[in-house]
Amino acid sequence: MTATREIVTDKRDQFAFHDDIAYLRETKRGLTRATVEEISAFKEEPDWMLQYRLRAYEHFLKRPIPTWTDGLDKINFDNIVYYRKPSEREEKSWDDVPDQIKATFEKLGIPEAERKFLAGVGAQYDSEVVYHSVKEELSKLGVVFMGTDQALKEYPDIFRKYFGTVVPAEDNKFSALNAAVWSGGSFVYVPKGIEVPLPLQAYFRINGENTGQFERTLIVVDEGAKVHYIEGCTAPIYATESLHVAVVEVVALPRSKVRYTTIQNWSNDVYNLVTKRAHAYENSTVEWIDANTGSRKTVKFPAIYLRGEGATADIISVAVAGKGQHQDTGAKAVHLAPNTRSRIVSKSVSKDGGRASYRGHLKVSPGATNVVASVRCDALMLDDISRSDTYPYIDIQEDDTSMTHEATVGKVSAEQVFYLMSRGLTENEATNLIVQGFLEVFTKELPMEYAIEFNRLVKLEMEGSLG
Amino acid sequence: MTVEPSTAPVARPRPARRAPTDLPFRFADRGLAEALATERAEPDWLRAERIAAFEAFERLPIEPNQLYTTYLDLRNAELATARPYVRTATAPNAIASTKLPEGVAGLIDLREDGVAGLVLEPAAVAAGVILETFGAALARDPDGLRTELEGGAGLPDDDKLAALARGFWSQGVRLHIPAGVRLERPIVMRWSVGVADRALIGRTRISVGDGAEVSIVEELGPSGVIPADAGQALLASTLEVTIGRDARLEIASLQELPPNAIALQYRHAEIGEGATLRWALAQLGSRLVRSRVDNRLAGDRSSVEQVEIVFGGEDQLFDLTSYTRHVGRDTTGNLLSKGALMDKARSFMKGMIVIERSAIGTDSFLGEFGMNLSKHTRSVAIPSLEIDQPDCRRAAHSSSVGPIDEAQLFYLESRGIPPDEARKFIVLGFLEPVVARVPLADARDRLRQRLEEKWDAGTGAGVTAAA
Repeated sequence: MTATREIVTDKRDQFAFHDDIAYLRETKRGLTRATVEEISAFKEEPDWMLQYRLRAYEHFLKRPIPTWTDGLDKINFDNIVYYRKPSEREEKSWDDVPDQIKATFEKLGIPEAERKFLAGVGAQYDSEVVYHSVKEELSKLGVVFMGTDQALKEYPDIFRKYFGTVVPAEDNKFSALNAAVWSGGSFVYVPKGIEVPLPLQAYFRINGENTGQFERTLIVVDEGAKVHYIEGCTAPIYATESLHVAVVEVVALPRSKVRYTTIQNWSNDVYNLVTKRAHAYENSTVEWIDANTGSRKTVKFPAIYLRGEGATADIISVAVAGKGQHQDTGAKAVHLAPNTRSRIVSKSVSKDGGRASYRGHLKVSPGATNVVASVRCDALMLDDISRSDTYPYIDIQEDDTSMTHEATVGKVSAEQVFYLMSRGLTENEATNLIVQGFLEVFTKELPMEYAIEFNRLVKLEMEGSLG
Repeated sequence: MTVEPSTAPVARPRPARRAPTDLPFRFADRGLAEALATERAEPDWLRAERIAAFEAFERLPIEPNQLYTTYLDLRNAELATARPYVRTATAPNAIASTKLPEGVAGLIDLREDGVAGLVLEPAAVAAGVILETFGAALARDPDGLRTELEGGAGLPDDDKLAALARGFWSQGVRLHIPAGVRLERPIVMRWSVGVADRALIGRTRISVGDGAEVSIVEELGPSGVIPADAGQALLASTLEVTIGRDARLEIASLQELPPNAIALQYRHAEIGEGATLRWALAQLGSRLVRSRVDNRLAGDRSSVEQVEIVFGGEDQLFDLTSYTRHVGRDTTGNLLSKGALMDKARSFMKGMIVIERSAIGTDSFLGEFGMNLSKHTRSVAIPSLEIDQPDCRRAAHSSSVGPIDEAQLFYLESRGIPPDEARKFIVLGFLEPVVARVPLADARDRLRQRLEEKWDAGTGAGVTAAA
């Protein structure tokens, strides 16, 4: 009995912690032109980046808060610290990482993970990459994996060539905010023809009440190269709002293959507003594998612009919305070239009054002939105080597109629960198992360690309603 | 995205200064509302009703739904100088001479300038069926009409175009089927427009008593012979329906307005316990159609079946919204929209199914299917769901856009049917579900003929060449 109870024990405390770090430098609360200048000066950035930030800041001021999703007007932009620097310089090896920060990562299990299979770690602690190691063999292959700030200094040419080209600052209000105050994030460059044998991983977390995280990730995969990038995050739980506004840009050059996996488990006070977009060139493949279980509100629609002939897009989006949460997630596939293919699979679970919304955009532009596209979204509602929405936008401007879209919404079937209970499972366990099965399309795409962690997260989420 | 160089000459100059959502007409002001009331010597409550509606009209946005705001383009409408007639014949001038067409139980025939005919078969009159204009109702049953109209009853308070009809109607039609009365033959409601710069604004109220059964054929067509270069004309109309317990109503609408017509349609149905409503809506004519259908499944076990087809050519634009709200228990909604587009036609099919918390046992399906027959068409489908009650029999939607199915084509060709004929069969077959549901044989045959003519006149040839 104790063994079976174990799986629904609330272990969230393990992931919810807050160390008293002595922040060495931070900006004043609120966002002004001076804040932006200050951040750029801290980082000793080239002038073009400062100008870019300032343009983005002006645009951020001009754009209204989006009203197509609710609650964003509750964000108090004046009550946020836009930049914090936890340590003076980027650390090259684990030994150099300050003990206090190391202890935090210890709880997250990073060193262990590294020992097992890490190809490299970019660990974001607040607004700066503090720990970074790339296995020697990868360095030899010419693979660059480092903090975005460092990359701006060390690889200025390739950085400038691609930065902001996939997600322009002017794309939306929050991409403008990120462009103005961005800090940290990962930079990956995989040279021509190189296949990175192991996933690159970046563990990061928010620490510090009201700390905004504005990380910026840029992944450039050159012709014929292949990489899998994984990000997962946990965050301490605080009562006041936190804001996470990230931008992820992926450039998949011809014949390359990129997979980007996310497990998002921010604490339930975080507004998680992320713009993720990839450009897929000729015969490349881009895959977003995206799960959202945490945060108060997530607004994130991983997008793939199929720009080159023969490109393939694959998006798996999973959301679990519990009490007080709204997961406004989905996917976008924009076909701009002939013979491109896309597949979108979305699974959402809502419970305890949570709200899960799928918002999708599938577009076939004039000239994108012979497109094949499919969208599948399924929603599971565990009780009748929760809510599930589906808002798919399908826009076809060619005459030979083959597009299908299917969506269903349902509840856990009583027959299935009864069957499992007749095999000796409790009702909780049966429901848990059914939910895990429902989400398996996502889980099976994960490396084993992550699959285990994700299933554990789902159990934690289920705990509240079923315990 | 890159901007394509404009090598092709611009087909038709547009009034460039107008935003896509700006209303194309200017006549709807307080003065007109007053003038209409004065001309008709309307009682104070009705005058106040018109003024209240005008004020709502002024206040409301053209598209209240955040989901759809970017999918609205009224620029094809050029009605700057259009006006409705203030003075119209509100009673038919020659009732006695109007003959009932074969197979029809009643007929009302309306044009921009008045009522062209109104007849009801004696048996229906004897059974207590009432078919009258608002003008006649005001004389015969002023209190009854007041109850039905006052406070904007039967119309939503968030819809600008519904407010337009409420404030500025020049023609009103009232149909009442008493409880238990079953009419075997349909009632025809004919609306004709096309005179340049003329607007016809009408309301239709239909009440079907408990256990009653009736079918209605709505014919929207040209008022006389319209010159090819005629300026634009407007039809703005409502259909406000209440269906009593266990009643049945079938409504078939054949929209064959002339190419210079702009149609703004609003339809609302309140469906009572055990009642059934079936819509068959065919959209063929007009230059621009903006339509909204609201189905409210209020009563337990109520059901709605809605089938809508669009067959577009040239530069026609169809902006079709459908809301279905499940409120009662064990309600059924079955909604199917199909669009076949030629030339530069565009269609926007925006569907929303809402399952309220009270709607246990709902069975709901929404399907939106498109066939783009030319490279310059655009078909947008937004089949949305908002679900608060998971305990349903079915909650699903599906959508697809594809070219003519090669397998079907091959099959027909293998049976000795020439390719051109085969394509025609497949497209007309795709649209047949609505044709088959028109309750009047003559109307059914005419619709088939019109579809075929449109295929032949349109890009039937172009499609052949492209495929």
